[in-house]
Amino acid sequence: MPLVEVINVSKEYANGEETIRPLDEVSLNVNEGDYVSLMGASGSGKSTLLNLIAGIDQATSGEIVVADTDITKLARGKLADWRAAHIGYVFQTHNLIPVLTAYENVEMPLLLLPMSASERRKRVEIAMEAVDLTSRASHYPRQMSGGQEQRVGIARAIVSNPTVVVADEPTGSLDDKTTEQILSLLSRINEELGMTLLMVTHDSEAGQRAKRQIRLERGRLMENGKETTSAHLRTA
Amino acid sequence: MFKFIPYVLKSLWRHRARTLLTVSGTAVALLVFCFIGAVQQGLLALTSGGDAGRTLIVFQENRFCPQSSRLPQDYAGDIKKMPGVVDVVPIKVFTNNCRASLDSIVFQGMEPEKIKAWRDFDLQSGDWSSFSGQDDAALVGADVAARRNLSVGDKFTIGDVTVVVRGVFQSPTAADNNLIFTQLEFLQRARGASDVGTVTQLEVHLNDTADPEALAKQIDQTFHAGPVGTTTRTKGMFQADTLADLAELIGFVHWLGYACVGLVLSLVATTTVMAVQDRIKEHAVLQTLGLRPLRVFGLVLTESLLLSTLGGICGVLGSVLLLSMSGMSIAAEGVTIAFEPSLNLAIQGVLVAVLVGVLAGIAPGWQASRTEIVTALRHA
Ligand SMILES: Nc1ncnc2c1ncn2[C@@H]1O[C@H](COP(=O)(O)OP(=O)(O)OP(=O)(O)O)[C@@H](O)[C@H]1O
Ligand SMILES: [Mg+2]
Repeated sequence: MPLVEVINVSKEYANGEETIRPLDEVSLNVNEGDYVSLMGASGSGKSTLLNLIAGIDQATSGEIVVADTDITKLARGKLADWRAAHIGYVFQTHNLIPVLTAYENVEMPLLLLPMSASERRKRVEIAMEAVDLTSRASHYPRQMSGGQEQRVGIARAIVSNPTVVVADEPTGSLDDKTTEQILSLLSRINEELGMTLLMVTHDSEAGQRAKRQIRLERGRLMENGKETTSAHLRTA
Repeated sequence: MFKFIPYVLKSLWRHRARTLLTVSGTAVALLVFCFIGAVQQGLLALTSGGDAGRTLIVFQENRFCPQSSRLPQDYAGDIKKMPGVVDVVPIKVFTNNCRASLDSIVFQGMEPEKIKAWRDFDLQSGDWSSFSGQDDAALVGADVAARRNLSVGDKFTIGDVTVVVRGVFQSPTAADNNLIFTQLEFLQRARGASDVGTVTQLEVHLNDTADPEALAKQIDQTFHAGPVGTTTRTKGMFQADTLADLAELIGFVHWLGYACVGLVLSLVATTTVMAVQDRIKEHAVLQTLGLRPLRVFGLVLTESLLLSTLGGICGVLGSVLLLSMSGMSIAAEGVTIAFEPSLNLAIQGVLVAVLVGVLAGIAPGWQASRTEIVTALRHA
């Protein structure tokens, strides 16, 4: 049973007269422990697919099953609860809350889960340590470099031990050296912590770091020259 | 929900200039609101107090200003004999200003034993015996004393009347704190021989079974044919009639109180709308992390509630301080309305602020909670 199953998903935007269809009946399996990179031309729909899997956007048709839950059937409130428990999201521009310290930013997702204060503290400390920023816990985002901010963003995404970590161009606004840091951090999260990772990137070198490379071309998902399918479709 | 309070506070602190302006604007508006409320309460206390319905005031027919009402003092004896009457208190009233004024001085000349029997107060300074034993002595209400900076031993003159302060008193009846008591005979003589034997009004105290209306009619009929006709009303009616013009004005001013509430509503709502628009993306990020839309609504509501309640509390405290320190009052034709702070009014002010905070947060909160996450994330 795959961890994430995308089944015949389409996404359309009505743009006046014409309809844009960045995703045209795509299907995909992601297994537990996978590290998948998603590449493709700008505007091809990479972010759209990622956002659908993360449960912050709605598909026009199709199903997305994550750890046995069909998230396309969840109402807004329930979907929010589901995200809190199952998704870690790394943004391109970290999107930290400016009025909160690094520590408080990382703690934020845990406030939404039933958890004691001491358990929260333990988890935040582990996540801060994983991104090697323990010494910056009390700093505000404006007091940190872009790379440090992104590492806080990653700590925030992994702190609740989510089912899937998604990252939309996590190195898109960083220089080469920092990009390298972030990419090896992501690899470590996958290898050492065993987290399932889905990363959108423009950079093919970054894409090569993942265990699986998928390309989005004209609304279709391609892996190793073949269109991806889902387990569901194969057995059907 | 309380776990997010630090985040809300920090967000308010981040825009502290805006927060401070909103809070101070709210405070000023609520100060005015409470002040207007205090004026209304003062008026209400005069016309609906405990003795307002059970005490009669006999005044000269068709006269308004105290100086122009001149009743023969011996009417008191005739009224005293009527069934249902417990006591009659002859009072000579002198005021420096018959028209509505913020700085009227009102003297009431009464026989010392009647003051003792029918006026309820504590002497803050001075003593009773030096008052009752001295002809030109005066007992000064605490608010007048504060306003005019008077203390025991001071001699002061208003018009033709010169008195020496022999005591400063505090009365539970707010309006009385704006009075000056002197001896009846002294005030009758103070303005020339022509006033001897006349009083301004007679205060008639009834027993529990007497019918005030019927007695008032009886008194007026008795003196109808006499040298001076009378108009007798309950104390409440008398004060309401005397202050009719002012009451109308105060009734109008109370709309200003509502305008203040409207002002706070639009002020707090504007600030909250601005705060939401500043943080469209931030709210989208919070929702991505798993904050329910209803929670986002709650956060915005908490923010506007804090703004308005904080301002409300400052305004209410300010008005309580202002009202109790200044001892302000307004008087017309010898009747005084005292502006007094009260717990009731303070609670009302804070409740208004809380309610306005909730109302002001609803629309922006709703807007924030309905934002499409993906659209908002693309927001620069
Ligand atoms: N709200 C919208 N309304 C209309 N069209 C939209 C909307 N959102 C996205 N699109 C279109 O959908 C397509 C896919 O967008 P998406 O952001 O997923 O692309 P992308 O592959 O992530 O691009 P990039 O690499 O530049 O980030 C684009 O053509 C975009 O213009
Ligand atoms: Mg994109």
